[in-house]
Amino acid sequence: MMNQMFFVGLPYLALFLLVAGSILRYVWNPFSYSALSSQFLEKNALLWGTLSWHIGILIILLGHLPAFLVPELWKSLTSNFVFLLTVETVGVMASILCIAGLIILIVRRVVSGKLQQVTTVIDILLLVLILLQVVIGLSMALMHRWGAVWSTGTTTPYLWSILTFRPDISYIEEMPLLVQAHIVMAWIILMLVPFSRLVHIFSFPFQYFFRPPQKVVWVSERRKEHDDSLVVVQESRRDFVKGALGLSVAGALLSVGVLDKLAGFFYKPEVSVEEESKLLEQKLKRLEQTAEERTYQLERMKKEFIYVSRLNQLDIEKGKYFIDYLMRPALAFLGKDGLPILISAKCTHLGCTVGSELDNQGRILCPCHVSYFNINTGMPNQGAPALDPLPHLGWVIMNANNEIILEQDPSGKRYGNVNVSSIDKSNRVFIAKKHKE
Amino acid sequence: MDVRAQTAMVFHLDKCIGCHTCSVACKNIWTDRPGAEYMWWNNVETKPGTGYPTLWEDQVNYKGGWEVTDKRELKLKSQNKKNFWLKMFYNPNQPTLDDYYEPWTYEYKHLTDAKLGDDQPTARPISQITGEPIDIEAGPNWDDDLSGSPIYAENDPNLSQLSEDEKRMLFEIESISMMYLPRICNHCANPSCVAACPSGALYKRGEDGIVLVNQDVCRGWRNCVAACPYKKIYFNWKTGKSEKCILCYPRIETGQPPACFHSCVGRIRYMGVLLYDADRVEEAMKAPLNSLVESQRSVLLDPFDPEVIKGAKENNISPEMIDSAQNSPVWNYVMKWKLALPLHPEFRTLPMLYYVPPLLPVMGKIGDGIYEHKTEDFFASIEQARLPMKFLASLFSAGNLNEIRSVMKKLLAIRHFKRAESRKELGSDKIRKILHESRMDPEEAEAIYQLTSCPGPYERFVLPPLQREEAMEGGEECPESCKGSCGLGDVQTPKRGL
Repeated sequence: MMNQMFFVGLPYLALFLLVAGSILRYVWNPFSYSALSSQFLEKNALLWGTLSWHIGILIILLGHLPAFLVPELWKSLTSNFVFLLTVETVGVMASILCIAGLIILIVRRVVSGKLQQVTTVIDILLLVLILLQVVIGLSMALMHRWGAVWSTGTTTPYLWSILTFRPDISYIEEMPLLVQAHIVMAWIILMLVPFSRLVHIFSFPFQYFFRPPQKVVWVSERRKEHDDSLVVVQESRRDFVKGALGLSVAGALLSVGVLDKLAGFFYKPEVSVEEESKLLEQKLKRLEQTAEERTYQLERMKKEFIYVSRLNQLDIEKGKYFIDYLMRPALAFLGKDGLPILISAKCTHLGCTVGSELDNQGRILCPCHVSYFNINTGMPNQGAPALDPLPHLGWVIMNANNEIILEQDPSGKRYGNVNVSSIDKSNRVFIAKKHKE
Repeated sequence: MDVRAQTAMVFHLDKCIGCHTCSVACKNIWTDRPGAEYMWWNNVETKPGTGYPTLWEDQVNYKGGWEVTDKRELKLKSQNKKNFWLKMFYNPNQPTLDDYYEPWTYEYKHLTDAKLGDDQPTARPISQITGEPIDIEAGPNWDDDLSGSPIYAENDPNLSQLSEDEKRMLFEIESISMMYLPRICNHCANPSCVAACPSGALYKRGEDGIVLVNQDVCRGWRNCVAACPYKKIYFNWKTGKSEKCILCYPRIETGQPPACFHSCVGRIRYMGVLLYDADRVEEAMKAPLNSLVESQRSVLLDPFDPEVIKGAKENNISPEMIDSAQNSPVWNYVMKWKLALPLHPEFRTLPMLYYVPPLLPVMGKIGDGIYEHKTEDFFASIEQARLPMKFLASLFSAGNLNEIRSVMKKLLAIRHFKRAESRKELGSDKIRKILHESRMDPEEAEAIYQLTSCPGPYERFVLPPLQREEAMEGGEECPESCKGSCGLGDVQTPKRGL
């Protein structure tokens, strides 16, 4: 429910406010439609603050754009490691530039008495929120590396699902908290656009580049029809009304879509009895399935030991998948010493299931974002997006009489004094409840 | 030929006494608002001096106005479309509050509200921006009458043309001289502020050429502030909009001259309509420095020429407007008598405010103050003037000394001509010779004298015949309903809020 609220409800609310609010503010109060410049009152700190911030954020947004617009192309581009490294380095540097700029901007607003006269609460709120967002973004880049790659398969489809009115949060539900915070914060900032100085983004003067240098406005109607000179530009009022009309229609259409989703989120649409029974049936089926799964899960949880494999079925090169006590995938290998190696198969980067075949360096590969994990140590390779090692699992070996012959806890400590070579290869390997983390 | 009507002005500097009544009249009507306290749409400067804002004439710093490129194209010096990208986030050519002054008032309330004590309560100066007590370090006319001062007068950019000797002479004690320069927006025919505005908020009114800012369209880029070489566009720090002199258009539309014109004690101000050819503006503004004044004049059209009248009618300029152009005192000063010159024509904005340069400070010291003429060369004194001709040429003719000299000759000749009527010092041959040398006939000299020294209000102000009803045809919302919200006739109170 919380996820629904943050990743479906909030986005549609934000988009609705962004579109409707920006248009309405332009119509109702065009006077305020800009950022209130404070250069007139203080210009030295502003130079460094505003330049660092604007240049930094433009670079960063430019980096976000292709991942969102052309994910496939971007993915193939970033498969080149040098390119990927460049992109990420530039991004990190730009966000540091942003943070420096924002700190200067915040400090100058707080310190100068003159600037306090032109500073509103929302100015400060916005500066702090944006600073927070950039800091979160930067820590994401450092802790969950290669976002340029993994975003194409996670956040991009999520964003498109929102924009095409088919919200699907499964892409990001399982993402680390930092990523989710970045997404939520982005929606909040978008929501604030019409209520803050951020509307200045929409006042970019496109027409300036195409207009003649001089502008003449005729107050009375008499001369207007006679204008043929290029130098003379008609009063922009009519153009403005036309433009505003077009924008409002477009905005209204978009708003209808957003509103529909928003309403649908809170009030379910009415359905016929047949449809409803069908839906209920489906729901029941799903619930039954879930109940089944849950029972199975509970039963497993109750068991002291869960069977993994016979010792002679384990392989040195190819791991065998099994499910651990917490319903997570894991892999069982045969070690060089003839004893099993049990290791979690859930990648510590973003939770993909790791591949089962060892490469020539004794490593297993997470196919999502190319992390290699050594199965003996669990450590990822140098420069991998995953930073933490895969944890090992404890195991027990039982003979045919259900007697424990040998046992190893997750930290690798062994119990039981048996010569390895003397163990019967048909003995079974289990994971034990007592080893559950 | 694209004939346009323009409300133009002449300020006769010989008559300016530097009393600032014009400034105060303007302040009380238009800029007595939060965020506008520091603005003086009309201000009076002492020359030589640094002016307001400080060193506004220094375009090396502010980069205002137009320039002619090597390819003979007219382009904005700095705030142009190409430079826009570089200056989008931070515009280095902007003046800041320090370049004007921090506006202040006094804590008058303290005089009556102070607690009983041994000392007389005082009204300390407090900033009109922060409300905190401040030390006043600059003001709108801080260098008033301070000619000769090393920090103000000696830094006047117009002195750069003078040799060290001439500068020393100028500031020698007992020979220090100065003049007053009242300034308002020039309502240029080739305004650089309009060309620089990214939002398209600035425009020239078609009917009368008044340059205005649409406050609702203005997005606070402030490129106009930097682009105006006269620094006559001001940034309201509270509303985030540019503001400028509106030539009191609500007064003009109701048949009254602007407040600064109306209140002028010395009656130095003239207003009238000029007709000009908009098609020729760009080409004329590309002229070399030396011929700039002449080429600016060449844009103006003779309102008596049948061709011009025909063109004006084709352009829907009303017969009343043509009539008004024919009676214009500005036409007489600028074109007929060639007495009035534009301020800093080298900025190439074609300013529509013309100045008659002052003769008075020029004549003061010659012959130890004794006013007589021993030689046959009556005009030699002009060359030995206290305020060097080079200084005046730097102000009014882009350095062309001949333009200044011919104006001075005329002014001096009229003086001799009128003096001869009562004092009979000079014989009529000599007067005829003087008039001939300054290229005038007695009728013209008399006409100049009449319009300069004893004009009535209807001779000084031949206003463009604009009807209020016509001005309101544009479908603007009722201006009466917004009275009191803002001096600029905003429909809404100019509150930003967010």
